[in-house]
Amino acid sequence: MDIPVIVLLLTFVVLLLMHVPISISIAMATLFAMLFTIDFMPAATTLAQRMASGVDSFALLAIPFFILSGLLMGRGGIAHRLIEFAKVIVGMLPGGLAFVNIISCTLFGAISGSSVAATSAVGGFMIPAMEKEGYDRNFNAAITVTSSTTGLLIPPSNILIIYSLASGGVSIAALFVAGYLPGLLVSLSLMVVCAIYAKLRGFPVGKKPTFREFAKKTLDAIPSLMLVFIIIGGIIAGFFTATEASVVAVLYSMILSVFVYKEVKVSQLMDILLKAVETTSIVMLLIGTSTALSWMLSYENIPQAISSGLMTLSDNPFIILLTINLILLCVGVFMDMTPAVLIFTPIFLPVAVQLGMSPLHFGIMMVLNLCIGLCTPPVGAVLFVGCSIAKTSIASLIRPLMPMYLAMLVALMLITYIPSISESLPIYFGLYEK
Amino acid sequence: MILKKIIQKIDWVVAKFVAILMGLLVVDVTWQVVSRFLLNSPSVYTEEVALFLVLWIALLGAAYTYRKGAHLGLDIVVNKLEGKSKVYVQKAAEVVCLAFALLIMVYGGFELVLLNIQLEQTSAALQMKVWIVYSVIPLSGVLISLYALERIFSDVDEMNSEQI
Repeated sequence: MDIPVIVLLLTFVVLLLMHVPISISIAMATLFAMLFTIDFMPAATTLAQRMASGVDSFALLAIPFFILSGLLMGRGGIAHRLIEFAKVIVGMLPGGLAFVNIISCTLFGAISGSSVAATSAVGGFMIPAMEKEGYDRNFNAAITVTSSTTGLLIPPSNILIIYSLASGGVSIAALFVAGYLPGLLVSLSLMVVCAIYAKLRGFPVGKKPTFREFAKKTLDAIPSLMLVFIIIGGIIAGFFTATEASVVAVLYSMILSVFVYKEVKVSQLMDILLKAVETTSIVMLLIGTSTALSWMLSYENIPQAISSGLMTLSDNPFIILLTINLILLCVGVFMDMTPAVLIFTPIFLPVAVQLGMSPLHFGIMMVLNLCIGLCTPPVGAVLFVGCSIAKTSIASLIRPLMPMYLAMLVALMLITYIPSISESLPIYFGLYEK
Repeated sequence: MILKKIIQKIDWVVAKFVAILMGLLVVDVTWQVVSRFLLNSPSVYTEEVALFLVLWIALLGAAYTYRKGAHLGLDIVVNKLEGKSKVYVQKAAEVVCLAFALLIMVYGGFELVLLNIQLEQTSAALQMKVWIVYSVIPLSGVLISLYALERIFSDVDEMNSEQI
């Protein structure tokens, strides 16, 4: 390996371990590595310019809006109504509340683009509710954390927008539609884990709802579920771009939570806007610095070197895809999703395409793979939120998480080796051609 | 300490300002949708305004978020440390952030602004001077530096109190 690359990696790891923010670690490591080939003045200017141009894209504008609408949905009583709806559908099964938890997270994922929002909105209600019914708190937290990552595959999804940017223009509409079946597959595999637990531990059985209750809760949830049709329907029909759909999502969830459900006061909007700025700036700074790093890597021809290294490893596509998955799993454990997608897409996508994988299929595989990392220490953002809501420690979550990691890995393998899970829906809707 | 009060005041202003920018961003893109679907004459300015707003939100927001200590990071090693060594590592991390702000955002950003003034770059639709948009880079850099210094010095106080 070249000296600049070694410097890059070493600086990055050392800064990361010192608890320097990831985005700043990326920027400083890039700066040091650049100094081997470029003078200080142009290096600093280039970095500043790349940071600014990294966020200069109309498609990325959907990210702050999906963050904002996610916050409004979480505080505005939308999550609560989805939970009540899930209860009348699956609450009467053995271990019913565990299924309610998974379905609520999946439904929430279908209207918001952030898994952290799903964890705090659904988990904040479900984790204590399940504990009251005799479920183990750590199990509850584990199920919330893992099932809320399905929201990253099920549209709208901010990370798929970022992948669209990193892959050089896979259509956002196609990616969004491609995410449905894989996302549902993950929630299904988590439900299998819950069903086994329910059988082994004799989880409590919930009440069967009366028809009246069923009708009422369903009616209550309809305005929230309408969001799916407005946002995704609008995008599939070619009516909206993702960015336009995202601002419609903001307006709709604002009207719903302020005027219809009346759970957010107008005076609280300023706070919610500021909270959205906070999350947006974290993601945007990561995007800006990762774009700079990615530019530096291709300047040093690193993607080509890694690609040819991988291709000499084996000529069996099965093995190479498995290797890519293993590397991404390790990356996901130590790195946040946004920089991981921006840095590793240019490295692995050419290899995958050479093996005959479509960029669409690769994106879904990569996002699901990195979702697993969101639920693992030491940098799992969703895991941290889940722990703080459940008031439990990361260490005590690891045991109940194990079978769920396994379920997600099984789903990952199915999605990696069966392209039609990701590709059939977008092809059906005419959004994608193989 | 009077400096601490001033920094708090600045932080308050920045927080209000970015929240308002975020509100404006919603209004701006809403207008884009309305003008396209209802008025049938898509606005040519909204997209450019939105991109400017998002850059300002991202960078000024990054400074605000930095002061809150909310940027994502890996605290597993630092949390294992105790006493003085923990304070030293924390302080060193803040120095790295200070270096980032000064070298890349203030210096690199300032050179970028100068370059755009010399080249007289203007934006496509609004004919606005690009350097005004980019000036948010050094501006946010100054804010992050200020906040980093605040943390570096309050760490010193922490260290002193531990010695006593």
